[in-house]
Amino acid sequence: MMNYLIEMILKLAKVDRRWIFLIIGLVVLIPLMYPLSLPVRAGKDSQQVYDFVESLEPNSKILLSVEYGPSTKPEIHPMVTSLLRHLFGLKRGHKVYVTCLWADGQFMAEEALDEVAVNEYGLTYGEDFVLLGFRPGAEAVVKGIVSDIRKVFTIDAKGTKLAEIPMMEGVNRFEDFDFLFSGSAGYPGTTEWVLFASDPTGVPMSTGTTSIIVNEMMPYVLGGQIQGILAGMPGAAEYEKLIGVKGIGTSGMDAQSAAHFVIVIFIFLGNLGYFIERKRSKKHQGY
Amino acid sequence: MDILGAWIAVFLTLAIFSFLYKDNPFYKIAEHLFVGISAGYWMSFNFWTQIQPNLFGRLWPSEHYSDSSLWYGIYDMLGFVARPIFPAGGIDMGHDLHMIYLFPMVLGIMMLLSIYKPLNWMARWGIAYTVGMAAGLRAYGILNSNVLGQVKNTIIPVIGTDLPFFSLTGDSYFNNLIILVGTVTGLLYFYFSREQTGNFGKVTKVGIYFLMISFGASFGFAVMGRISLLIGRLLDLIKYSGSEFHHASIWVLVAMIVLLGYSAYQERESSS
Repeated sequence: MMNYLIEMILKLAKVDRRWIFLIIGLVVLIPLMYPLSLPVRAGKDSQQVYDFVESLEPNSKILLSVEYGPSTKPEIHPMVTSLLRHLFGLKRGHKVYVTCLWADGQFMAEEALDEVAVNEYGLTYGEDFVLLGFRPGAEAVVKGIVSDIRKVFTIDAKGTKLAEIPMMEGVNRFEDFDFLFSGSAGYPGTTEWVLFASDPTGVPMSTGTTSIIVNEMMPYVLGGQIQGILAGMPGAAEYEKLIGVKGIGTSGMDAQSAAHFVIVIFIFLGNLGYFIERKRSKKHQGY
Repeated sequence: MDILGAWIAVFLTLAIFSFLYKDNPFYKIAEHLFVGISAGYWMSFNFWTQIQPNLFGRLWPSEHYSDSSLWYGIYDMLGFVARPIFPAGGIDMGHDLHMIYLFPMVLGIMMLLSIYKPLNWMARWGIAYTVGMAAGLRAYGILNSNVLGQVKNTIIPVIGTDLPFFSLTGDSYFNNLIILVGTVTGLLYFYFSREQTGNFGKVTKVGIYFLMISFGASFGFAVMGRISLLIGRLLDLIKYSGSEFHHASIWVLVAMIVLLGYSAYQERESSS
């Protein structure tokens, strides 16, 4: 029996990787089609973002920077839509200004604003929210917004002059904002906002990032340079839980959990196979 | 149009996924389309959202347009060649006249000269400016936030305050001690002026363990990120498998499996 088990493990350790791809694909697909509704509990970092948004004074000016594209949409987009729902749902007259450091971020921002601000809350463009759009130049754009936003943006994404947009009145530089949220999938993104905007001016910021860059951002969060972080898809799911509106983040977490479980099993079996193989080869060599 | 878009999206998604089986013509089609369309799309997007409104718009703003001006005479001549780029009466994008923008325009043209061998040395000037500007711009930010800010964040109490000894998530003496030990031993690992043997070697080994844990966490997050991307594509495939899209995902998947299976069968036949 034991020998049979060992042979099985050795076979599994050498299985064609295409079978592993297929199994991972199915393990992700099935929970998406038939949700398991696994519980989601908000972590400390997501709670910090939520609490900070809750603590904003009425009529606060919030700068939302969109730095992701279609490829990273599943992770960041639910965060951005949830944040917009939270800000507008509070009904405290918060104004949202959206900039994009990524060119395709402009389409993501348009989609999020249409979905939440226009369709769900029926808000007015130019009075409650504005899409300033994309400008190339990464950190140079961030520095430009810090010193004089009107030099970087003379028109918004629709081609309207800033002077003709009512909610732009009194907004001239980064310090005129009360809070920054950066939805970031990499460079340019959260790091540039910390380095060139938030740290030098003291304007508080939070971030929502892809899983892959969470580790890079954690020192800023732990050091208090960023007020909480929504870390990848779990961060999105936690924020959806906090605001009480389920979305892609929550439904995706079932698939995430199932996939992680299977990957851990594969890693375990792969290592087990490796150690058994190593022991056998040592035995053959007479050690 | 939505239905056609859905079928194209499904085909391209499954074509890219088909590489997991093996390299095949579907994957090649999707790969070439992606490269070609991306290059064309970004070039056009950047020209019409940046170069035309922000560069030309600052060099020839409509606010300063004058028939008798030599500068706008050049503009009018350009307008004869390409009217959509240089509309009559100057470009109205809310900019003031900034002749200084001639400088980046010239540098940009010099960078493009890298494809013309006799003058390709000029490209170095543009690149040198970009590299120098970026280095100077980042120097202060990195020093302030990543060096001084992070050093300050590492100076934390390990005795003498009312922190709990242990906490799984919040601040505690134990967590602060781990940050202190991890930072010091991790930094010592990168001290190469002394051979890492004896007691020093033991300390740097602790640093390696901290680094390995950090890499492990990064790997875990990377896996999570990739699964998230897969979830995004699968959600679209599920959406497009509905009757409103004429079951695009199912039909394309079946067609692709049949064709790839037939191709594999043919290959096996010819090799045997």
